[in-house]
Amino acid sequence: MAHSLEFKNIGKLYPGVKALDDISFRTEGGKVLALMGENGAGKSTLLKILAGDIKQSEGIYLLDGKEQDFKNPHEAILAGVSVIYQERQMIPALSVAENIYAGFLPKKGGGIDRKTLYANAQKIIDKFGLHMDAHTKVARLSVAYQQMVEIMKAYSRNPTVICFDEPTASLSDAEISALFRIISELKEEGKIILYVSHRMAEIFQVADSIVVLKDGKYVTSMDVADASEEKLIRAMVGRDIGDTYANLKRNDKYGDVVLEVKNLNNAKVHDVSLTIRRGEVVGLAGLVGAGRTELVRAIFAADKVTSGEIILDGQPVHFKSPHDAIKAGIALCPEDRKEQGLVLFRSIRENTTMPVLSELKKGAFLDKKKEKEIAQEAIEKYDIRTDTMEKLTTQLSGGNQQKVILGRWTNSLMKTKLLILDEPTKGIDVGTKAEIYQMVCDIASQGIGVIFISSETPEVIGVADTIYVMHNGRITGQLKREEATEEKILALAMD
Amino acid sequence: MKAKLRRMTNSKLFTLTLLLIVIIVIFEILSKGKLLSFKNIRSILQSVSVVTFLAIGCGMLLMSGNTDLSLGGVGTLGPMVLAFCIAAGLPWYVALIIALISCALCGLGNALMVNYLNFPTFIATIAMASISQGIAYLISGGKNIDMKDPTLNFIGTKRLFDFIPYTFIIAMVALVIYAIILRKTKFGRSILLVGGNAEASRLAGLKPKKISFILFVNASCMACLAGSLMCARVKTATTAGLSGSQFTGITAAILGGISFGGGTGGMMGALVGIFILNVFNNAMQLVGLSSYYQTVMSGVLLLVALIYDKIMENNRMHRAITAK
Repeated sequence: MAHSLEFKNIGKLYPGVKALDDISFRTEGGKVLALMGENGAGKSTLLKILAGDIKQSEGIYLLDGKEQDFKNPHEAILAGVSVIYQERQMIPALSVAENIYAGFLPKKGGGIDRKTLYANAQKIIDKFGLHMDAHTKVARLSVAYQQMVEIMKAYSRNPTVICFDEPTASLSDAEISALFRIISELKEEGKIILYVSHRMAEIFQVADSIVVLKDGKYVTSMDVADASEEKLIRAMVGRDIGDTYANLKRNDKYGDVVLEVKNLNNAKVHDVSLTIRRGEVVGLAGLVGAGRTELVRAIFAADKVTSGEIILDGQPVHFKSPHDAIKAGIALCPEDRKEQGLVLFRSIRENTTMPVLSELKKGAFLDKKKEKEIAQEAIEKYDIRTDTMEKLTTQLSGGNQQKVILGRWTNSLMKTKLLILDEPTKGIDVGTKAEIYQMVCDIASQGIGVIFISSETPEVIGVADTIYVMHNGRITGQLKREEATEEKILALAMD
Repeated sequence: MKAKLRRMTNSKLFTLTLLLIVIIVIFEILSKGKLLSFKNIRSILQSVSVVTFLAIGCGMLLMSGNTDLSLGGVGTLGPMVLAFCIAAGLPWYVALIIALISCALCGLGNALMVNYLNFPTFIATIAMASISQGIAYLISGGKNIDMKDPTLNFIGTKRLFDFIPYTFIIAMVALVIYAIILRKTKFGRSILLVGGNAEASRLAGLKPKKISFILFVNASCMACLAGSLMCARVKTATTAGLSGSQFTGITAAILGGISFGGGTGGMMGALVGIFILNVFNNAMQLVGLSSYYQTVMSGVLLLVALIYDKIMENNRMHRAITAK
């Protein structure tokens, strides 16, 4: 009998956000099921539940008709579920063989049976058709090969279910075709395969059926034969997205050049030049890892600059730290809200006033009354939904967290000239996204220059006035909004 | 009003105070009234002062997300330098300044190792514990040094109204000053923000390294004062000094609701933590348990505090979810 995997009404609650809501679908052995959806649609969360990494709040899942309840990833692996995550989980100092068999090393006597270990590992490597020695330390492999080791690790456990989470993100074409060959072999062996990817072409090449998720909810499923790119995009984004951009009240009055970057270089950024005027929203598009985050971090002095010029309001500047950049009027909303943006276990008030504490001094002490005014200003201006400004930011939803950070940088004590937004809508629901787009336009209307980074191309086209595309740390093109299309940007991003 | 009351009863400080009262009531009964006798309270107050200085230094560091295991060694070195200088004929205040400077250098060393060489805090400060303890031996030639200075001995041994030790008063003044710094100033706020998330704080314009330097130096100076007050009382700088008592400081701070990861806590909680620890130890002695049990029980007490903290944390998370 063929293997089967079924999800029934799976839900997952996090503080302030419902990551998954009533997900039900079924797939069987010998088939590749593609999971599709925007960032934050809930694909990774679902895989984590399946892998025993986190526990669902509602619902059950059945493997071969039996309900499963993995308490940890090890139990899931023993039951035949292997998940290959986007982030590689290798131990760099160990060999390829040791990584493949990590946690399941062949034993002899009291020790490890090294002979069997390396022989078995080499067998798998050969089956995958890779030129690799099982003794090589993983640290010395390229990112693509590390990814392949990850896949071999999953394969070595002889799983019933194999899940790929964006497996091709760091692979070259040759390696991708090797991967697809392996996937089709796994299919023939009757395994259940879940495949998460953003790349349409791949989906059509490798998948048999498709399930689309959106904002943690099940949208639809279809056979690949019935699917088209258009159909999928409509299911993934919902049709109201186009209207959102059309309805934005944009700023069309630009002032002087606020920031000019000339031939900027560091380890991840190569020879980048760009200009931003007051009131202009400049979008940075590109694939993950194109160097956009690194570029803005360099401008903000969060990372080092090796050469090049940064000119703010006509004056060359050399910042030693973000502190200097902020004093000069540059603000950054970092990519990772929770790790780099907020102090989660402190209140909305304390998070809002972080950069203006010096301005809030009255003698030796902080002026609490003034501070509350500033926090209240942010709450009203950005419609942060909370009953009190003393609420810890960890208790807020993603959208409200982002608004707290916006409030931090645009309150009346700040003299922000340039606001950098790195993936400001990541993991935020569609409704709040639209709110944030309008806020970005409003901020620009106040004469602030805005840099807007997003990996969702339609968003960059929809929000930015001018779009720079990056690839491998370089700027590969510059487009006006009117002339920008997803295809053009993608072509520049892949170069 | 109701909400305010609920917030209060939910706060760590409230539960801690409750715990302290429960301990006092139980042991007051068990010890047949000896715990709250005039003489015994006096002795508790005396023992509280040394721990208070350690807990201030260590607590501030913990709140900023760091820790310091060298405080015992540094707190031995400080008074040794003090006694040595006094024996050499320097006036007590000059000697104290020299002692503070030598301890501050230890703190500076810790901060350099942690911030510029990126050594893990535990390892760096353990190294410093060894170095400072060793230097204390070298200075004294392995022997205790008498510390006969009328002013210091007065402060160390005398009491106001023959009840409140002067060391206790100094410790409480210091505690209040630090509480005000923490609650009311930009520096205090920065400590909590940096402790909560150092990278986010840096990207919001705060200076985590600067704060770390100040707090490491501060902790070492506090250890110096703790050791010096203790030695002023016994009129001798001993080679054992404060060795090992860094853990007492950490225990008191954590008992007092300062989280080990940083970012939360306050000085009033630390004060209650200090009292819980000292009253508990004192009470165990009164009811005749050997000091070995005391050591075990302080560990158990700390574990209970941590478990309780964890449960409260989970409850808060749960409420945050169901509220949505």
